[in-house]
Amino acid sequence: MARLTRKVSIDPRNYLFTFEVDRRFPKPLPGQFVQVASSIELTLRRPFSVAGASRPGEVELLVELRGKGTRTLAARHEGSTVSLLGPMGNTFSEPSTGEVAVLVAGGIGVAGLRYLAHELAEEGKRLVILVGARTRDALLLGDLLPSATEDDRVRVAFSTDDGSAGHWGTVCELLESELDALGEDRIASPRLYCCGPPAMLREAAAIAAAREIPCEVLLEEIMACGTGACRGCVVMTKHGYRTVCSDGPVFDAAELVFEEAPNA
Amino acid sequence: MPDLRATLGRLRLCNPTVLASGTVGYGPEYASLIDYTTVGAIVTKTITPEPRAGNAPPRLKETPGGLLNAIGLENVGLERFLSEKLREVATVPAALIASVAGFTVNEYAELTGAVTAREEIDAVELNISCPNVERARRPVWDDPEAVAEITRAARATTEKTLLLKLSPNTADILSVAEAGEAAGADALVVANTLSGMRIDVEAGTPSLGNTTGGLSGRALLPVNLANVWKIAGSVSIPIVGSGGIADPGDALEYILAGASAVQIGTALFADPEAPGRIVDGLAEYMRAHDIESIEGCTGLARKEKEREWQRTTAD
Repeated sequence: MARLTRKVSIDPRNYLFTFEVDRRFPKPLPGQFVQVASSIELTLRRPFSVAGASRPGEVELLVELRGKGTRTLAARHEGSTVSLLGPMGNTFSEPSTGEVAVLVAGGIGVAGLRYLAHELAEEGKRLVILVGARTRDALLLGDLLPSATEDDRVRVAFSTDDGSAGHWGTVCELLESELDALGEDRIASPRLYCCGPPAMLREAAAIAAAREIPCEVLLEEIMACGTGACRGCVVMTKHGYRTVCSDGPVFDAAELVFEEAPNA
Repeated sequence: MPDLRATLGRLRLCNPTVLASGTVGYGPEYASLIDYTTVGAIVTKTITPEPRAGNAPPRLKETPGGLLNAIGLENVGLERFLSEKLREVATVPAALIASVAGFTVNEYAELTGAVTAREEIDAVELNISCPNVERARRPVWDDPEAVAEITRAARATTEKTLLLKLSPNTADILSVAEAGEAAGADALVVANTLSGMRIDVEAGTPSLGNTTGGLSGRALLPVNLANVWKIAGSVSIPIVGSGGIADPGDALEYILAGASAVQIGTALFADPEAPGRIVDGLAEYMRAHDIESIEGCTGLARKEKEREWQRTTAD
C-alpha cells in the first residue's frame, strides 16, 4: 500500500502525484513502471511510468487524464491509500563517456523520461531535452524537467503543432536540427531516449537509424499482469513478439518492427 | 481449523483454489507477487505441440466488469516446455496442472502422455475451449463426440488426474459434460471464457487484433455459475467452477452450486493476494456455519432447492 501525499494539477489534463511507499518497496530505476489499482470497479490495474523517485520512499507519477483509470485516480484525496505494485520492467542503458543524452518526449511522454532526465542531470551528464506537444501545454509539463544550464550542459527546447510555443512543428524536426548542431561538435556523440505517441517514436527511430545513432524507446501498452505471465501486452520485434511489461518497457529502437505509417 | 482439502481424481489439494490457465504463465513470472503456498494448484499456460507466436496485438480490452483477451495460445511448445520451463514450473510450491491443447485427437494424447510422464506434473487439463484459435466451422467444444474422442485418447495415456475444461460457447454444455465424464475425465472445469468483442469507434476497427476474444472477469460469473448448476445435477465427477471469482462469496456461490474446487484467474491481475483472501474467507464461512469440511459445502444450495421442490410436490 502507498499513501498519496501530494496531488498537484499541472493543468486541467495533467496531474503530478507523489506517493509515499513503504520500506520494502525497491527504489525504482528510470524507465520502470508501477501498476496502480485506482478503483475496485476496474478489472485491470493501470501501468504508469515512474516519473520521479529521487527522494527515498517516494514515487512520483505524472498522469494525463484519459479514461476511468486515470480519472478515478485523480479523484483520490491527499492522504488516501492506493495499492501500488512494482517497480516493474527494465531500464534505460547509461550514456557512456563522451555521449550526449538526447531525450525526446511527445505529449505525456514526458512522464516516461522525467525521472531519467533528473537522474542524468544529477550525475552531471550532458543532456538535450526536447519536448513536443499539440499546444503550449508543453511548457507546463516542461517545467517538471531539469532547467537549461548556462554552460549548455543541459539544453531544453520545445515544439508545438500550432506554433503557440517554441518551434512551430514536430519534435522530430527539432530533433533533426539538434542532431545537426551536435554533429558539428566532434567530441560528443548523441544517444537518443524517446517516449511519446507511436508516430513520433517511429519517426525518431527512423532518424536514429539513418544517422546510425543508438536509440531507446519507452513503450506504453494496455497491460494485465505486468509480469510477463499473461502475454497480453506484446509488441512485434525482429525476434518475434515481446512483452512490453517484462521484456520492456524500454526497447532498442533498432529491434522493433514499427507498423507502416498510414498513407506512407 | 475447518478442513479445506479438495479431491480431484487422484489429485489431493490443500485447499480448493486453483489458479486458472493463462493468467500466471508458467508460474515463476508471478512468484514475487502471488504467495503460491496459499493455493491448492496452478494451471500452466496452455502447451501446444509446436511453439505458437500468438495473435496480433492488441490482445486485451477491458470492458465493464470484465476483460476480453485474444492471446492466441502463445506458448513455447511441448519440447521447450519439457526441457526448459518445467524446471521453473517445479519451483512453484503448489500442485501443478499442465494445460494442453492439440489440433488433432492424437496430439491431445501425445501431449497428455508427455507431460504426465514427468513427475513434476500432478495432473493435466485438456483445453478444448480456447475461443481465440481458428478452427473448423463446428468448434470441438460444441461437439460431444469429438470431446469424447479427445478425452478417451488422453485418458489412455495417463493415470494422473485428467481435467476437461469446457466452453460456455455452446447451446448444450450438458451433453459435452456428460460425454467427457463417460470418456473418462476425472473432473470438469466449468468453464472457459465467453466469446465477445468490442469496437474502437474512433479507429473504426475491432478493439482486438483477433477481432473477437474471450470474456473473463466478474461479468462472466452468472453465466458459468448457471453452467455449473446445470451440470452438477447430471454428472458425478467433481466440478471446478471458473469465471469471475474475485472474493470468497464468489467462490462459495460456485461451491454451493455444486463445485468441489474453483479457479481464480482475471482477479489476480488487480489483486495478486486474492487466493489467500478467498481461502481465509472460506474458512471463516465454514466456522460461522458450523461446517467441518469444504466438501460438505459442495452443492448445498441444490439440496435446499431439492427439499423445497419435494415440499411443493408433496403438498
